[in-house]
Amino acid sequence: MKKLPDERGYFGEYGGKFVPETLINALEELERAYRAFQKSRDMKNELKNLLINYAGRPTPVYFAANLSRKTGVEIFLKREDLLHTGAHKLNNTIGQGLLSRFMSKRRLIAETGAGQHGVATATVAALLGMECTVYMGSVDIERQAPNVARMKLLGAEVIPVESGSRTLKDAINAALRDWVKNVRTTHYCLGSVVGPHPFPMMVRDFQSVIGKEAHAQMRKQWGGDPDFVVACVGGGSNAAGIFSGFLHLTKIKLIGVEAGGYGNAPGEHSARMRKGRRGILHGCITYLLQSDDCQVLPVHSVSAGLDYPAVGPEHAFFKDNEIVEYVRCSDKEALEACLMLSKLEGIIPALESSHALGYVLSKRKKFKGARVLVNLSGRGDKDMDIIRKETRI
Amino acid sequence: MKGYNGLYLMGNFPDPEAFVEASNAGLAFFDFLEVGVPFSDPVADGPVIERAAGKVLAKGYRAEDIFASIEKIACPPGKKIYIMTYANQVFARGNGAFATMMKRSGASGIILPDVPSVERARFENDFARYGIDLVRFITPESTHEQIQNAVPGARGFVYCISIRGITGSALVLDAETKRKIVYARKYSSAPVVLGFGIRDAHSARIALEHADGFIMGTRAIEKLESDGVSGLQGFLKEIAMALAE
Ligand SMILES: Cc1ncc(COP(=O)(O)O)c(C=O)c1O
Repeated sequence: MKKLPDERGYFGEYGGKFVPETLINALEELERAYRAFQKSRDMKNELKNLLINYAGRPTPVYFAANLSRKTGVEIFLKREDLLHTGAHKLNNTIGQGLLSRFMSKRRLIAETGAGQHGVATATVAALLGMECTVYMGSVDIERQAPNVARMKLLGAEVIPVESGSRTLKDAINAALRDWVKNVRTTHYCLGSVVGPHPFPMMVRDFQSVIGKEAHAQMRKQWGGDPDFVVACVGGGSNAAGIFSGFLHLTKIKLIGVEAGGYGNAPGEHSARMRKGRRGILHGCITYLLQSDDCQVLPVHSVSAGLDYPAVGPEHAFFKDNEIVEYVRCSDKEALEACLMLSKLEGIIPALESSHALGYVLSKRKKFKGARVLVNLSGRGDKDMDIIRKETRI
Repeated sequence: MKGYNGLYLMGNFPDPEAFVEASNAGLAFFDFLEVGVPFSDPVADGPVIERAAGKVLAKGYRAEDIFASIEKIACPPGKKIYIMTYANQVFARGNGAFATMMKRSGASGIILPDVPSVERARFENDFARYGIDLVRFITPESTHEQIQNAVPGARGFVYCISIRGITGSALVLDAETKRKIVYARKYSSAPVVLGFGIRDAHSARIALEHADGFIMGTRAIEKLESDGVSGLQGFLKEIAMALAE
């Protein structure tokens, strides 16, 4: 298969650069810097060194023996929850932080939903001595309070976003507006495989370390390839990262799990692949949850990181070409998985990651006897308030 | 009024009747009208226009309703109505369907602030078939090469975004941007019109010193909201008098 995206930033019909003209040269500058980065041994070594000695890579693949015994499914967990700051997001922000320094942009801005990407950006800003501003919807500020405190401690300014649904989508709007104003001095450190080209490509590449490691670990430590690789899909960066290590093996089935929320009506879920249709939001053509008047619909998920009405353009391409199967996991199933993993394995997963596991557990008959690799994209400390409220612990 | 100037109003804001009246009042002074078709996520707009869009959507108005109102505007010969909306409104409906609605309403140009030059072709060619002009942009970030590519084939007018920023910001024209405007005017057969940050006669005069015209938006929406159609009319008249030829 040809390497995607093409030179215009398209994955088949999806992707592109639908942003104000003012940002076009900044996107081109970023792409040039990224190409230079890919060719520079020094920069690649610096990234590698930070990933190993600062972030804690490689993260292990753990065989969840108790859970496997209980369910009759062989479940392996890629432990991104053990990465510094507690989620896969840091793989991307270290890369973009170095790129930003290379472009002599000393101010990072970011959007965040669950707060994990905000924390990961604030962390890199602290490490590289950069200024950092994080936009976060006020609904998310409330439900992910521990991460707000962490960002502030790390020296970032957290700006509440009060427009629209006051969640991730609106935080991206606010960050884009900031970027248009400050494009000369600021790098927009986008947190997932969404937005205009080159972000979907670049973030995927920075996250591909997950898949590369997991593929080797399965073969070396765990007796061979998995039958299934399962990841949750918010924007789609942890999924794109782990899938990239297995795309060349057509026998392995790849499954992306969206937030099914608590119902099928608009505003009760974030199932873009099931209920969305082609649209343009935040810079790219992709599947979008929209009304018949082509307005972006409200979305819901118990997890702030999956609560987004669009999805990365490469995932839209994967769906149409049946390269990945996209499924749903409800709020309730995700919470049950979260509790079960905590009790049986002593691992408290993020509610986002709980969706990937929740799908496998709720469909355990389908997976009976199979080897299933689940990307445990993050840890659940940030979600303790919600977990406590929802489960009355 | 001196120059080739546009007035931005949000479709059906504050209500359909007042919108049509305000449009007619505006067309007495301005050469073209720019009508916002609201989108839920207007990333190029500041809080005033975003709020106006939100109010129109909250009342349940759809693009079709906005076009029904536009049809009622008495657009004098030689003057023109442009639509300003976001790419998804057009893309998700289909270019042909959107262009048909526009045509029927009497609008003959469109401004899509999240469609930059590199993505222009997929819209421009389809719209041209309906005789609708897709407006091209230059910005403070544009290189000479980009200006040279954008400007010669431009139809209607060239939208010069005055600042790095969103609608409703203050106008600050730096020397580099002024040079770019001079350069664009040299190559353009269409008027080069300055938008973003024009709030009063003073900023309009600055725009006219450098460009062929200006577009006023945020301030007009504020006036319409606070003082009604007659308040807006009075305000526009004062500006027109201050800028009389
Ligand atoms: C732990 C965790 N997993 C997954 C996600 C979803 O993002 P993505 O789909 O880009 O991996 C988030 C986002 O905030 C997250 O914090």
